[in-house]
Amino acid sequence: MTEPISHERVSCRERLSSRERLSLVKLMLILLTGLGLVSLMSLLFGAGDVGPVAAWSVLTGGGSDDARFVVESLRLPRTLVGVAVGMALGVAGSLIQAVARNPLAEPGLLGVSAGSALAVAIALVLGASAATLRVSVAQLGALCGCLFVLAMARVNGVGSDPVRLVLAGAVLSGLMGALTSVILLVDQRSADEIRFWVIGSLAGRRLEDLRAILPSLSFAGVLVVVIARPLAALALGERVAVGLGHHPRWIRLLCIVAVAMLVGAATAVAGPIAFVGLVVPFVARALAGPDIRRALWLALPLGPIMILCADILARLLVAPSEMPLGVVTALVGAPVLIAVVRAHRLPAL
Amino acid sequence: MRTRTLTPPVNLMNRRHTSVPPPTGTWRLGWTLAGRDYAVLIDRRACFASLGLLVVLLAISLLSLCLGSLALSPREALAGLFGHGAPMNVFVVRELRLARLVAGVATGAAFALSGCLMQTLARNRLATPGIVGIDNGATAFAVASVVGVGVSLSPPPMALAGAATATAITFALASDVGTRGYRFIVAGIGVGAVFGALTQLLMSRVAIDAANSAYPWTVGSLNARDDVALTWLLCGLAPGIVVACYLARAMRILRFSDAVAQGLGHRVRACRYVALALSVALAALAVAVAGPVGLVGLIGPEIARQLSSHRGVPLIASALAGAVVMVAADLVGRLLLAPIEVPVGIVTAIVGAPFLLWILLRPAPRFQS
Repeated sequence: MTEPISHERVSCRERLSSRERLSLVKLMLILLTGLGLVSLMSLLFGAGDVGPVAAWSVLTGGGSDDARFVVESLRLPRTLVGVAVGMALGVAGSLIQAVARNPLAEPGLLGVSAGSALAVAIALVLGASAATLRVSVAQLGALCGCLFVLAMARVNGVGSDPVRLVLAGAVLSGLMGALTSVILLVDQRSADEIRFWVIGSLAGRRLEDLRAILPSLSFAGVLVVVIARPLAALALGERVAVGLGHHPRWIRLLCIVAVAMLVGAATAVAGPIAFVGLVVPFVARALAGPDIRRALWLALPLGPIMILCADILARLLVAPSEMPLGVVTALVGAPVLIAVVRAHRLPAL
Repeated sequence: MRTRTLTPPVNLMNRRHTSVPPPTGTWRLGWTLAGRDYAVLIDRRACFASLGLLVVLLAISLLSLCLGSLALSPREALAGLFGHGAPMNVFVVRELRLARLVAGVATGAAFALSGCLMQTLARNRLATPGIVGIDNGATAFAVASVVGVGVSLSPPPMALAGAATATAITFALASDVGTRGYRFIVAGIGVGAVFGALTQLLMSRVAIDAANSAYPWTVGSLNARDDVALTWLLCGLAPGIVVACYLARAMRILRFSDAVAQGLGHRVRACRYVALALSVALAALAVAVAGPVGLVGLIGPEIARQLSSHRGVPLIASALAGAVVMVAADLVGRLLLAPIEVPVGIVTAIVGAPFLLWILLRPAPRFQS
């Protein structure tokens, strides 16, 4: 950007960027409409007796007391939590892919979510139980997982091969999962407390859960706004970034902190959910091109859309009971993983 | 590990082979049958490794018979094994611990043999059935049979069907990228994730009792083994080891390129299909007994490869090492948190994962592209 550019090229680039920006606005509008529709569906459909018609009458101001309770106290908080978790995971996936320069990097696949789950399990065994404590502990665990991933990405040979890094992450995630299950075996009390949490689900989440994670989510949002531009410069290469006056080391560190806060918050509320951070940036890049700033914007509505769609499916597929959310995202996300791996040339980030 | 040489010229029939010294580090075992001379070269180091592993396996088996909530001395355990001593001891050793020990040895050997075959076939030391998703496929189908979805087959055939399905999908997906690199493995991880999700889906559909009875399938445990499945495994393992020994010579040539193997007169395609089928069948039968304990298929061959010489493919040593690992992991899982039993799958995951990371992060891997 700082190198001397000829006149025509500048005008060409400006024209291009203005056209792209327009298309970005259009895309955002389309996606936000989609998000609104999906949220509405999430309010209307459920596993219980309250059908779409009854739920609609509640939304328009009528409806029985039962239906009102179901929609307002169960489905509405669940939908809001889903939106928050989806935003966090989508943005975190985009960030970690940018910082690891790896289109396969994903908080769930790389062991970041498993790290925060393990941290929460340890904290519960040690006697903690408060919801607010759980968020910060989960974020601490996610930070450890992130740092480990970053250390692995620096090892020669692993970092340069995107697929190998994912393999190492999968191993790490398996290890943390095994340790978590050992803890659950040992301590029956915490096992009962978090058994339904470790599989990943939005069922029965309340507005207080959302309130507990909002501060850290907004802090991470500010952080993302600050580092988006340096991150885009870093995508051009370390030297270019230094030449543009940025500090790659600091950018990476801040990025990792943001990812840890986002993933930790999402995991604390909904449990470890894999593959959202893989699919969302994949789609966002396909729509918006390689610029991380545009991809981040698109990840904001795309993440909630994916989470809410998966959650609706999880409610409807096995109608009287419910399915873990992570199962649905895995069924959607694993084929995307295979498709990316099979692509002959992995897109370099 | 074993080399069979036929002596072609007839006029050499009467001469003794000993005129040509065997290659260094091997013994030659020659005999004459129906007028033809045969000779077998036995790799000395591989032989010692197998013997050593056998001794370790016997020792740890004895330990596994002795230790538990009722601790016995080795003498008491052996007496109980042969039906002498206090009736209580006899019951504990023969009815409880022996069956579990047999299951552990058989599943460990099957997993490790299967892993060794597949590693050699894919020329990739990470390509074990557990990692490329075959275990998960077998588990998903076996759980389907336990929770009774539509079909009423017993777990072993269903596990076979699932393993075959997963293998077909993984190898079909790898047709573009080849089996040598990491992409194959990650494609396999994706397939495994899909089947894992299917297992969870099945478990969430059924009542809590059925889900509880299917739970051991998802972590891998020797506690809830099925006698029928164990019989199937033993019936499959015995001929499997024989076939594997027969394949051993072709396998060690297959480690080079296809052209070399073909030039040396091996039927590459047939050999590869037989080895793949054997590997998948062994993994599936073992999953039907113990659930997905796939990391044994990685650890066992790795130990065997460290102990044996580089010349051959250590199939027998892999099977023995796998059995040792499985029995040891089960023993640790039983004793570690004494009243609670840690499933063997979790123990092998905790031990095996750092090992796998070490293989991945080593600067210069020996076996991969």
